[in-house]
Amino acid sequence: MATEYILEINNLKTQFVVRRRRVVRAVDGVTFKVRRGKILGLVGESGCGKSVTAHSIMRLLPKTAVIPEGSILFHPEGGESVDMAKLNPTGRKIRSIRGNEISMIFQDPMASLNPVYNIGDQIIEVLREHSKITKKEALERAVRMLELLSIPKASERIKDYPHQFSGGMKQRVMIAMGLICRPQLLIADEPTTALDVTIQAQIIELIKEMQSEFGFSTIIITHNMGIVADMADDVAVMYMGKIVEFGTKEDVFLNPLHPYTQALLKSVPILGNAGEDKLIPIRGVTPDPSEMPPGCAFEPRCDFATEACKTCVPGRVGVTDSHIVRCVHCIGEKLDD
Amino acid sequence: MLKYFFKRLLVMIPMMLAISLLVFGALELTPGDPLTAQFPPDQLVGMSQEDLDALREAVGLNDPMLVRYFRWLIAFFTGDMGYSIQTGTPISQVISYLLPQTVILAAAALLISTIFGLIFGIIAATKHNTIWDYLASVIGVIGISMPEFFIGIVAILIFAINLGWLPAQGRGSADATFIQNLRYLILPASSLGLSLAAALTRYTRNSMMDVMNQDYVKTARAKGLSESRVFFKHVFRNALMPISVLIFLRLPMLIGGSVVIEQVFGYAGIGNRLLTAINSSDYQLVLTIILMLSFVALLASLLIDLVTALLDPRVRL
Amino acid sequence: MSENKKKIVKSSLAKENFYKLLHNRLAVLGFMLMFVILMACILAPLLTPHSPTDLNLRHMGKPPGGEHPFGTDKLGRDVFARVLYGGRISIAIGLSGALGGMILGVIIGSFCGYYGGWLDAIFVKIAELVSVFPQLLLVMVMRVILGEGIKNLIIIFVFTGWIATFRLVRGRFFSLREESFVEACRAFGIRSSSIVFRHILPNCLGPVIVQLTLNTAGFILQEAALSFIGMGVPSGTPTWGNTINAAKELLNITNYPWLWVAPGLAIAFFVLGVNFFGDGLRDVLDPKQQ
Repeated sequence: MATEYILEINNLKTQFVVRRRRVVRAVDGVTFKVRRGKILGLVGESGCGKSVTAHSIMRLLPKTAVIPEGSILFHPEGGESVDMAKLNPTGRKIRSIRGNEISMIFQDPMASLNPVYNIGDQIIEVLREHSKITKKEALERAVRMLELLSIPKASERIKDYPHQFSGGMKQRVMIAMGLICRPQLLIADEPTTALDVTIQAQIIELIKEMQSEFGFSTIIITHNMGIVADMADDVAVMYMGKIVEFGTKEDVFLNPLHPYTQALLKSVPILGNAGEDKLIPIRGVTPDPSEMPPGCAFEPRCDFATEACKTCVPGRVGVTDSHIVRCVHCIGEKLDD
Repeated sequence: MLKYFFKRLLVMIPMMLAISLLVFGALELTPGDPLTAQFPPDQLVGMSQEDLDALREAVGLNDPMLVRYFRWLIAFFTGDMGYSIQTGTPISQVISYLLPQTVILAAAALLISTIFGLIFGIIAATKHNTIWDYLASVIGVIGISMPEFFIGIVAILIFAINLGWLPAQGRGSADATFIQNLRYLILPASSLGLSLAAALTRYTRNSMMDVMNQDYVKTARAKGLSESRVFFKHVFRNALMPISVLIFLRLPMLIGGSVVIEQVFGYAGIGNRLLTAINSSDYQLVLTIILMLSFVALLASLLIDLVTALLDPRVRL
Repeated sequence: MSENKKKIVKSSLAKENFYKLLHNRLAVLGFMLMFVILMACILAPLLTPHSPTDLNLRHMGKPPGGEHPFGTDKLGRDVFARVLYGGRISIAIGLSGALGGMILGVIIGSFCGYYGGWLDAIFVKIAELVSVFPQLLLVMVMRVILGEGIKNLIIIFVFTGWIATFRLVRGRFFSLREESFVEACRAFGIRSSSIVFRHILPNCLGPVIVQLTLNTAGFILQEAALSFIGMGVPSGTPTWGNTINAAKELLNITNYPWLWVAPGLAIAFFVLGVNFFGDGLRDVLDPKQQ
């Protein structure tokens, strides 16, 4: 059953049990959908829960984390839908999906590769885990993949160890590892944050190229509005464990409705967008997750806050079919959480 | 890899020279006639003072120190190590007979402590924050806090005297096979290895916990690998590197400790002989044994070093 | 005024660390063990009327009880007194060896770490050499050259004990001297000595103190081992190692267990206390390095 969406996340909650049974609600009711073959940008400040959301999809959370509520429906092409939230995080089913149908690349390529194995070993490890293939064939495919990702002299370098590669090259290796099994969904968790600015652009270009070549869907997680503007089809803006605004790129960038999105767009320079405007930082700091305001989480920092904002948590409002906002000031169809 | 091996070997040579120079210097400072250390006693008996002086000149004892040092060093490496003043036996014979026993003891202790240290460390790391983890770390601290000879004495009292399972003293009979004499090795090797095992338990646990939090372990899980594969291929392998460094650092202590343990168990090894030689001021023998043991320590550390290099490609280059 | 402010910041940090340490049950237990044994040793004359060295031929090899809580040895000396008075010397040797090693290690380490160059290269080699040479053998070489005695033992401990501290301090200096706050100090023309003592060295103190506890524990164990085999403190002086020496004879192990159990446990408990305390200190002062 091929639906329009490859991934549907409904009211996902991920919580960490920290010392003395205190609970940190890192992801607190997140709902969004990823369109098949499209790129979704998930943006927000650090600590807002975007990375935890991604790890929840892959079920790569630490042992202290629990998912008490919500569903993560994955609809693979030519396969049965699965609710990833219900799977055993170390079980056979999730393992057959990881690296095979859904891949993930991480923030820091320097730390994400095992220093004691050469990169060839590490790439073919995924391939051989998910398909019956000889070592030789696997290596050939790995070389082809590295060439596709423009790593020079790939057939020689495949025997090199991670420490012999630069940061950008390591991230290419990580991408190769992620794509070698032709996954249907790629989750890139801040893939450029740890890299030099010049390399960042190359990696972004590369992900875009690969996406149009293989046609997989992508979730790109970033705090960089510029990257989202550059590559995303859809945008989800996250604040304190909730998606505060979701829509197409046009919806969010041209008609930002949530005060947080507006503030976020005003606070960072985006190439070719509102070039002359002065940059205005968002005032205040993100609240401590253990002392969340009772109402809207953004209320203490919001310029438009009213009494209503202080008391009740705003629900999801569908302004248009594609544009959903969590703000009491927005008028539209009330949606379920 | 071979290149790395030779590089390490080259680094060792000046160290060996430095140690030998130290030992030679000590030998120079000790009282006693160097002649008695170079010839069997019966050869010197009855010689007149002139004869002795002539002999001294003939073997070059009046040469400059540096010349004598190199002559002594060459003689050492060709197996001509002189004679024990106390017993008159050639030192090379003493060493070739007793050194292997001590090496066996130290190696057995190393083996035992590595096996137990790794097993307990892994248990503590995988069951981390449970009673097992807590127990392993407390027992670990207790283990490194006990003097090894005290452990040896307690072991004798419990396992040899009260339970009668294992022999308390000695090294077995000379005509029994190695396997038959293995019983004699168990208590001394375990007592010697206990503190290293305790240290290794703690270290393995911490090293494993450290590696488990690394991003590349997350990458391995993201690949869809099974937990056991993630554990052995990615966590354990990487955790081993710092562990081998710890073993490297503790190795000299193990060799020094064997001298003490040999005393406790009346184990006929080179350490025991070393102590009797010190007590009878047989300095030539003392210093030769010390030199020999430090070479053994150096060689052993070279070996561990190579293991580390095998484990970690970053070291190799 | 700024000086005043700094003091407040410092003391509140120290306070916080102190509370953290108090919450570490093992560290508190370790400190208590250490403190009780140390006090018992210091107050030895109040706790026992006997002298550790006086022979009493009428009370030879008496089992524990009555006048002699830990019994007497084969020469009629009171074992309890020997454990207490011996503890004084054993602890003093361990602590002074560790302190000397620490001072030497900090001095050489900060020199090498700050200036680097050939001096550094030489000391690194020396450190490597001393650490591969089995310490016990070094003690024997020194003994052959210098003869036996407490002073020589301490010299040997200092000589081998500086290495861990040296490595620690040097490593810290190497990473810290690249940090921007040190660069900033240089840019402001602050003297090298001031940079070293006021800005870098305080950053190394935590791990150095932890190392001090580890070394103290290690040296107490070594003194015991050396005295046990007759290579440490001259046998006339009561130390924990010399007291336990009686157990060298197999017969004494079963027939006179009190001769070695009491001093053995004294060593084990004291060193255990130091190690628990040191572990707790490490958690507080140096959370990164476990």
